[in-house]
Amino acid sequence: MRRKRKKMKRSKLLLLLPLFFLVCCSTTSYWRVRVEVPAKIVLDLNQYSNIVVTDFLVQKEPNEFNLNQEIVKYFAEGLEQQFKGKVSSKKVSLEKEELFQDRDFWKSLFPDQEGTVILTGNASYTQEIRKAILETRKKRDEDFYPRSQAIEERRFYTLDLSLYLIDTTTGEALYTRAFKETQGYNNPNQTAPFAFFDLVERVKVKLFQSLLGGARIQERYLIVD
Amino acid sequence: MIYKKIKLYALILIAFTFILSGCSRSYKSSQIKFGIFAAQNDLWEEAIFRWKKAVQLNPESAAAHNNLAVAYEKKGLLDEAEKEYETALKLNPKNSYIKANFENFKKNLVSQDEDEKKEKKDEKK
Repeated sequence: MRRKRKKMKRSKLLLLLPLFFLVCCSTTSYWRVRVEVPAKIVLDLNQYSNIVVTDFLVQKEPNEFNLNQEIVKYFAEGLEQQFKGKVSSKKVSLEKEELFQDRDFWKSLFPDQEGTVILTGNASYTQEIRKAILETRKKRDEDFYPRSQAIEERRFYTLDLSLYLIDTTTGEALYTRAFKETQGYNNPNQTAPFAFFDLVERVKVKLFQSLLGGARIQERYLIVD
Repeated sequence: MIYKKIKLYALILIAFTFILSGCSRSYKSSQIKFGIFAAQNDLWEEAIFRWKKAVQLNPESAAAHNNLAVAYEKKGLLDEAEKEYETALKLNPKNSYIKANFENFKKNLVSQDEDEKKEKKDEKK
């Protein structure tokens, strides 16, 4: 009797083994990984040896700071860190928007200087306060129905930037791109210069990705059958 | 008595065949797992080598094709990545992970163009 029981147990175990393997093999497991995916380059700036950041045509200037000066400084410093060639800045008086299409004007700025690109454009920086009626929540101790309405204020800043990359040998605009970045802040005391640096950083990241390459961090799944 | 013995041996034989098939499968999946381990440690060349091997061993492995596509994407080989994603999806069209990867891959491809299109629209407004 004992032997029979033992044999029965063995055969049951043996029947369970294939089932166990089937279950093990049929499940799919995955690993989530963060991958830096290289961005597509629209115009390779590294084929040039010099970049000159000139003054910008400012249409709406804030009272708190010099917009043109800050943009030129920001882009020149950013390019110095990522561009392999030489980066410099130059004062150029821009009065009309039509100048960006004037090839002779740009050619005359840097005669006999090959492999140079000019970064310029027009800019405006505006701010506005938007008000809205929003539901606010009180503490439970104060009221049994702790909901009420109040007027909330948000301060919005908008940076409009149209950028031109101009070849000095031909005076032709190689690349043009317009950016409109807006950001709202709950804090009504948020200052214009701080908001400007938030917005211009966004422009810089997008622009440099298209011109100098870079990577976007993405999530992907690696799987096992 | 003899029948019982035959039954027992038959069961043992079946169990062994399952174990062996499991082993061969696990060898293929070990290449995939080793590749994943390499990728997690930022050794993408090694990962590509392992997943290519897994594809050679089992061309029907959707996982190997999917992982290879991710590695190609990481390396900036976008055409190759697209082909591998497509193959993986053909082999296993219901796999949600492969689908998610391929959708994100396509989004990433068009997102830059869309950014520029949006900016152009804003400019017109």
